[in-house]
Amino acid sequence: MNWYLISPQLSLGALALLVILLDLFIREKRFLAVVGAIGLAVPFGFAVSLWGHEEATLYGRLAVDGFSLFFCFLFLGIAFLTLLYSTDYLPRMPGREGEYYALILLSTTGFTLLAAARELISIYLALELSSLPLYALAAFLRDEKSTEAGIKYLLLGAIASAVLLYGMALIFGLTGRTGLSEIAQALAAGGIREPALLFGVVLLIAGFGFKIAAVPFHWWVPDVYEGAPTPVTAYISVGSKAAGFAVILRVFYEAFGQPAWLLSDWSLIIAVLSALTMTLGNVVAIWQKNIKRMLGYSGIANAGYIMVGLAAASSLGRSGVLFFLAAYTLANIGAFTAVIAISNKLGSDLIEDYSGMARRAPALALALAIFLISLTGIPPTAGFMAKVYVFNAGLQAGLLWLVIIGVINSVISAYYYLRVVKVMFLGQPASEEGVPSSIPLRAVLLITALGVFLLGVFPYGLLYLAERATLLLP
Amino acid sequence: MMSLLGEFGQIALFLILSVLFAVILLLLPKALHYVGLVPKKPSPAKRSTYECGMQTIGETWVRFNFRYYLYAISFMLFDILAILLFPWAVGLRGEDRAFGLLVMGIFLFILVVGLVFAWKKGALEWK
Repeated sequence: MNWYLISPQLSLGALALLVILLDLFIREKRFLAVVGAIGLAVPFGFAVSLWGHEEATLYGRLAVDGFSLFFCFLFLGIAFLTLLYSTDYLPRMPGREGEYYALILLSTTGFTLLAAARELISIYLALELSSLPLYALAAFLRDEKSTEAGIKYLLLGAIASAVLLYGMALIFGLTGRTGLSEIAQALAAGGIREPALLFGVVLLIAGFGFKIAAVPFHWWVPDVYEGAPTPVTAYISVGSKAAGFAVILRVFYEAFGQPAWLLSDWSLIIAVLSALTMTLGNVVAIWQKNIKRMLGYSGIANAGYIMVGLAAASSLGRSGVLFFLAAYTLANIGAFTAVIAISNKLGSDLIEDYSGMARRAPALALALAIFLISLTGIPPTAGFMAKVYVFNAGLQAGLLWLVIIGVINSVISAYYYLRVVKVMFLGQPASEEGVPSSIPLRAVLLITALGVFLLGVFPYGLLYLAERATLLLP
Repeated sequence: MMSLLGEFGQIALFLILSVLFAVILLLLPKALHYVGLVPKKPSPAKRSTYECGMQTIGETWVRFNFRYYLYAISFMLFDILAILLFPWAVGLRGEDRAFGLLVMGIFLFILVVGLVFAWKKGALEWK
């Protein structure tokens, strides 16, 4: 076997171990963040050098193809930004910084494995490797709300895992295979037209739906998002969602793409869930007073938009999903980073306390406004292009009703996103004090704001990557 | 293949029946009381715990020391490792021996890092 093909994942895991070991001997914990952030260059370099490979490794269990590498880049980027924007928050968790960084890196290792796994058992293992650190991280503040968030996340996550395993067991029982391409062969050979197969597929949708926070598997989102430390919330909101979509894309197109009736069945289920998800997410987000909860429901709504691309069941839809995930990641990380800076000063996450923020911290307020505009999907931002691509894929697939619901929902979402902008720019400031932010935090805001703009104006580079990445290993 | 759903169906049937059984047993006395067949006359003897053995002394919800938990977790980790080593050692033959040794070496190294971490953080000390 060829170790080189899994070098990004191996080096990422080794980096996590290195951070754990260094934590024991180094007193200046900020150094660990530096080691982690610079060390991410190693897996990144490996992933870049692997680009263009189309191979399976580890006895066919992991795929090295454009798809897994695209997500590898995405997760490495998320981890890099997470290490940066966490530095301002970590003084609230004294003595545990090393564990924090190591858990983030371990979870990222799990995510990159998940995007590459092409066999049910490997998928499950990678899913657990990525989830377990998140459960610990959600409870990291050790106060009442954070502990509640951690326990809730752990219990509901365990239930989702059980449901997922039951679905996998049913599919294994019917096809006798765990490899995705072998399942596809067994299904293509015909003869398996059982309600149990569809039941297994529905259970898989439920298990993965938990990861992407799709309605009706979204119950954990608001409480976990509110209770968890804000950097962890940001990490969960983008990492867990991207990983969930990665695994859904691979499992459903590689294993269940074959008999036409199965394809149309699951894409219809996803289309209906998509409509429910965006409608519920947007309608409930309107009532939220806490900005973390609001961003949580907005995350649910965005999962709904992305599912339009899934339901389209075409390569156009797949590249749309990848592009949307990248755009959503940039805007959401940016928004949460601004929330971290503001809550460090105010000690509050209530939207009404953001009043007059434009006068107290003009650059910060402007950045947050840009991210919220991108999440709404107004040009010239990345969110707009992402929605155009995903909805276009939906139209091409004949899902006109779903696209109409999506557009109506975008209009609804403008209300609660722009309300925050209105409060910040037109409200009266409670005091004239500025909002301080450290250099890493400003760097994250700059990177994400620039990214949101550049992707909105020149989307072609990323779109080319996304199109290359939709070619799955057969 | 068709029998799969049938086999799972039996389990589902058991599940439904067992839940129904419990619910019916719970509701039966209430229902009989409601109909008037059963009078309600509680007495200390009736309300006492229906169990064999000695009466418990003091609270049954004893709080045990939190530190046991850390020991239990670290013990479980290395216990499972020891169990894993047996099938690994039995299976270690043929041409892949060197590779198997290497993989287990990496695995052990990762666990040792964990042990060193627990040690340094004071998880093994009884403070």
